[in-house]
Amino acid sequence: MSEEIIQIETPFQFSEENKREFDELIGRYPVKEAAMLPTLHLAQRQEGYITPAVMKYVAELLELSVMKVKDVVTFYPMFFEEPVGKYVIRICHTLPCALRDCKVVLDHLKEKLGTDVASETNLAKGTTDDGKFTLMKVECLASCDVAPVIMVNDDLYKNLTPEKVDEILEQLPN
Amino acid sequence: MVQEKRILYEHLDVPNINTFDVFRQHDGYTRFEKAIAEYQPEEIADMVKEAGLKGRGGAGFSTGEKWSFVPRDIEPRYLCCNADESEPGTFSNRYVLEKNPHLLIEGILICCYAMGIETTYIYIRGEFTLGKKMLDAAIKEAYEQGYLGENVRDTGLNINIYSHPGAGAYICGEETGLIESLEGKRGQPRNKPPFPAVQGVFMKPTVVQNVETLCNLPFIVGNGVEWYTQMGPTYGDARFDPPKADPNTGTKLYCISGDVNEPGVYELELGLTCTELIEVAGGLRGEEVKAVIPGGSSAPILTQYELDTRLDFTSLTLAKSMLGSGGIIVMNETRNIVDCLLNIMKFYAHESCGQCTPCRWGTPWVRDIVQRIADGEGRQTTITRPKFGITESGRWGDTGETEEIYEDLDLLENVANNIANVDTMTWNTICVFGIAVSWPAVSYMRKFRPEFEAAIRESKLVTLPVAEATVPPEENYAYQQRIIPKEMVDLE
Repeated sequence: MSEEIIQIETPFQFSEENKREFDELIGRYPVKEAAMLPTLHLAQRQEGYITPAVMKYVAELLELSVMKVKDVVTFYPMFFEEPVGKYVIRICHTLPCALRDCKVVLDHLKEKLGTDVASETNLAKGTTDDGKFTLMKVECLASCDVAPVIMVNDDLYKNLTPEKVDEILEQLPN
Repeated sequence: MVQEKRILYEHLDVPNINTFDVFRQHDGYTRFEKAIAEYQPEEIADMVKEAGLKGRGGAGFSTGEKWSFVPRDIEPRYLCCNADESEPGTFSNRYVLEKNPHLLIEGILICCYAMGIETTYIYIRGEFTLGKKMLDAAIKEAYEQGYLGENVRDTGLNINIYSHPGAGAYICGEETGLIESLEGKRGQPRNKPPFPAVQGVFMKPTVVQNVETLCNLPFIVGNGVEWYTQMGPTYGDARFDPPKADPNTGTKLYCISGDVNEPGVYELELGLTCTELIEVAGGLRGEEVKAVIPGGSSAPILTQYELDTRLDFTSLTLAKSMLGSGGIIVMNETRNIVDCLLNIMKFYAHESCGQCTPCRWGTPWVRDIVQRIADGEGRQTTITRPKFGITESGRWGDTGETEEIYEDLDLLENVANNIANVDTMTWNTICVFGIAVSWPAVSYMRKFRPEFEAAIRESKLVTLPVAEATVPPEENYAYQQRIIPKEMVDLE
């Protein structure tokens, strides 16, 4: 991907607060490239997902080619290249959770939200029509003792049952 | 019953232990102060070596030995703390980060002092948002109290700690993958050598240590080597001649999950058996133990006949498995091993970084074969082998005996062994991810072959009773090969 091909409608820029945080970040590393992951996290927090404009902006900040940024973005599952819902629900489905019936929770979530599970290349598949939720499966969340677990944005919910899932979904503000 | 021995986790449940003041009340940072007041840096490195501390992250490599490879004349040197805890079944680091982050900082300080390191990066898993928040707050406090930054406590040491978030890739837990990721690239592991100790992050000498390993350091320094080496067994490793002393000192944060009544983290001295650990964790949930995964999902599975295996580095290696990160997953009689393997193979197929061809293509292939068996479409073929005997016409000749073979099981073993060969322990990939795939694939299939055969034969998943599903010890190659430490050579 060269810069000419990218269609950028509105350029992206860090908010003042994020810019300050970025300036602090960049001082931590002897080479600028190393600040890539924290910078992308910052940008995603601001924009919601990594747009071509974000990639271009990050590339300029870190003095890299856009291709290099895209290379990293596509590697890591936590960076989204498509819009996601306001609440991203990550459900763990690895063995310890599977032994504790995470499938029941997953089926309940699917039914309740009326959506399928997103895949990494098709996030829209797991996003509700109103854009409130995105449901995705993730690998082990390192909470096997309190399985099954889900993460809603940054918060972890433990020992889930369908009833508890209902409670959690209800208390999320619109 | 074996008693818990809480050392790293001793103050974990003290309210507000995450704050500097409360941590200070519980001997916080006194071990670091002792280290700088009483010992030279080299002496600390020697103490760690003498204590026999082994890396708790997975490979179980001697920490002191790893430190001795670091050239002390190249500046700057770095410390990377591996807090990218993603091995299924492991969750002990999360509690340290969320509840007692100052302990980790103290461990890092001691390591930095011993190795003359000024900069530390804590590579923390992207999903650990609470852990990162707590850790960042603790780092900030430590800076304010003068334990970090320039001229730490008027000793002339400069030590900085930065947390660095990952972004959800399992492979970044591999040390060179972590380094690549830290440098802002795709987390694809590097060829070794050069080892990170010589050329690591930013091509400088780098010590990479797991959270739990670093948390052991304050206690080694604070209580002395002798106190530390009293915990855990020392074996004479019979693989060597003369037997080499192989210490398994200290405690381990055993993470137990799956079919037990009280899953959780239990800190126990190394060297207790599987049966004892299940008992500590409130006993089995169910009637019978069908299988136990002893060290995270990468470790070869243990059957009901192998429950007397001691959970320490040496014993599990000799039992053809590994302690790994100490994530124990227990399965009871209701579990189907084919189904469990399918779950694990989906994980590995998803997490392969895509760098080496055998792994990139092999892992989805293994997953597809297991999926096929689980869907009831496993392949079975009848072949005719020439066999001499008395034929129907009463004459000596080829009787053409037919034999049923489970084509898919042979294929599964073949594909897995071509990613990494479990018998010769050689892998066709850059990192050990390859062996982490073929170890479970081959061991589940070899040790629970009747269940795989039944699934193919009956075209559906069949959960057999434990005794029928397990290959008996006489036919279990790994079981025959194992050496139980009890019977091992005593060192004087």
